[in-house]
Amino acid sequence: MARRDADAKNEKGARGVERRDVLKALAAAAAALAVGPGAGVAEAALAARPSLRYLRPPGALDEADFVERCIHCGQCGMVCPNRTITYSGFELGARAIDTPYIIPREKGCILCMKCGEVCPTGAIARIPRTLESILEKVKMGHAVVDEGLCLSYQGKTCGVCYRACPLPDVALRVGRLEQPHVLEKCVGCGLCERSCIQMPQAIRVIPSHA
Amino acid sequence: MKEHASTQAGTAVHKPFFLWRHLNKLRWVVLSLVFSMLVLLPMLHLYQTYVAAHAYDLLAPSEKRLYDAMELLTSPFVSDPEKQLDAVKGTTWSGTLFGLKLSDPLAVVGQMAAGLTIYWPFLVTALIPIGFTVVFGRFFCGWICPATFLYELNSNIAGWLHWAGFRIGGRRFDKRIKYGVLALGVVVSAATGSIAFAAIYPPAIIGREIYYAVALSGFGAGAAFFAGTLLFDLLVARRGFCRYLCPGGALYSLLGRYRLVRIRRIVESCNDCAKCNVVCEFGLDPLRDGFGQECNNCTACIAVCPTDAMTFVLRPTDVPPQGPGHLGRQYRRAMEKAAGEAAGRERDRGARAAGDGESTSRPEREEAA
Repeated sequence: MARRDADAKNEKGARGVERRDVLKALAAAAAALAVGPGAGVAEAALAARPSLRYLRPPGALDEADFVERCIHCGQCGMVCPNRTITYSGFELGARAIDTPYIIPREKGCILCMKCGEVCPTGAIARIPRTLESILEKVKMGHAVVDEGLCLSYQGKTCGVCYRACPLPDVALRVGRLEQPHVLEKCVGCGLCERSCIQMPQAIRVIPSHA
Repeated sequence: MKEHASTQAGTAVHKPFFLWRHLNKLRWVVLSLVFSMLVLLPMLHLYQTYVAAHAYDLLAPSEKRLYDAMELLTSPFVSDPEKQLDAVKGTTWSGTLFGLKLSDPLAVVGQMAAGLTIYWPFLVTALIPIGFTVVFGRFFCGWICPATFLYELNSNIAGWLHWAGFRIGGRRFDKRIKYGVLALGVVVSAATGSIAFAAIYPPAIIGREIYYAVALSGFGAGAAFFAGTLLFDLLVARRGFCRYLCPGGALYSLLGRYRLVRIRRIVESCNDCAKCNVVCEFGLDPLRDGFGQECNNCTACIAVCPTDAMTFVLRPTDVPPQGPGHLGRQYRRAMEKAAGEAAGRERDRGARAAGDGESTSRPEREEAA
């Protein structure tokens, strides 16, 4: 019995080595095929950086549709009163170069809904600036609290995220010692993450496209 | 021969309307205005964000200067800069003018290819530019395009270099390449599901990059691409990107193929000096009536013509080649030769007539002949 296990392990190990060799061979072939030393660099630059956590402007279509629809005109950024919307370089991949995004730790969206008004292609939908329609249609992401980092959960009453939330008691509620609880209706504007006084931030918006 | 005599002596040669030769100056005013708008709008946007932040005291000195300058500029016209300055936004790629949305037809074509669907509200925003292009041809390239503003200045630098003895930038390629670029761009947009033109179309790049530089963190990748096209124009082919590669120029040329308003050479006043061909940024051949679909009615040839031999006409096609200009040496020689031959024939005939001893007068004989 034990021997069979060992055999199985050996087999598995052998297969693993084999796979690694195949991968190595493939990598070598790819390197050989690459036109020059620049090709690898270009490939690395063109590929999306999956670690970057970004939000699309409020009302943006699903990620795939959004990239198809957006013409990279930059008008959403030009009306954004806080310059919250910035533009990607190659970090989202070459397909999505010059598309608008929001890095919530740098700036949160104040939900003014002007970007949807100017968007010529409907990549950002036009949403009236009313509580009902924003709650119904805006879905940039959803905030998540890291209780290990949050000061209020350490007994040091904070409540800054709650004060920053544009939809208090609708999207974010505080309990004992101002401990934040994110509610179902959070639209993911990112103002709480921007305002969090902890470093690294204890509340983060998880983008809905991720 | 008689016909020639009558044109020289009799009916007055058609003169172009006197303002046409000043349109080139107006064109430079328009180009400068469009370009300065692209610089001013991001500054206004920055000013708006400062106003919205209610934090004048916290601004850096340079930001305060910008704030003061923009306030000075706009205060006579708006009372609430935060809201009222939103009336004009965007770039020539796509913009908003007092609620009217306008887009580059190339943006619509690229977007349709990328999404493989037609989004009607966006298509509608390109109708006004398309309508103007059908009537005025590729006018965008000469009159609006912010890249043209820089490319023509670049051409001037090339001119100075040429004057200083650097013989560069004289290569010519096939003008049809750009239609291939247009087709390729459509295919790439459809294959990748992302509008490829936005990354390689200079007016789109310039509008965006100026905004990045003024209001955001600085130039992006597009600026490097545009600098490359400037170098290409300077070192390889004069105005090379527009002439041979620009997908937008290709689309506008196709749309403006049967434009109503076009430039025409008045052959009677042309002296074959070829200044029009030299000044033509797009490498066309006005001297031999070769305007074609790629003329952008920029009026540089009208402005440069020393004998007022260029004018506007309303017709959907170019006139067929009219031959050498009537004030030119080539035409005069041909006429002299024809006249000499005719005179020779006459002399022969006259001699024969005298020999026959008949009394019919020469004009009558000529008419009979």
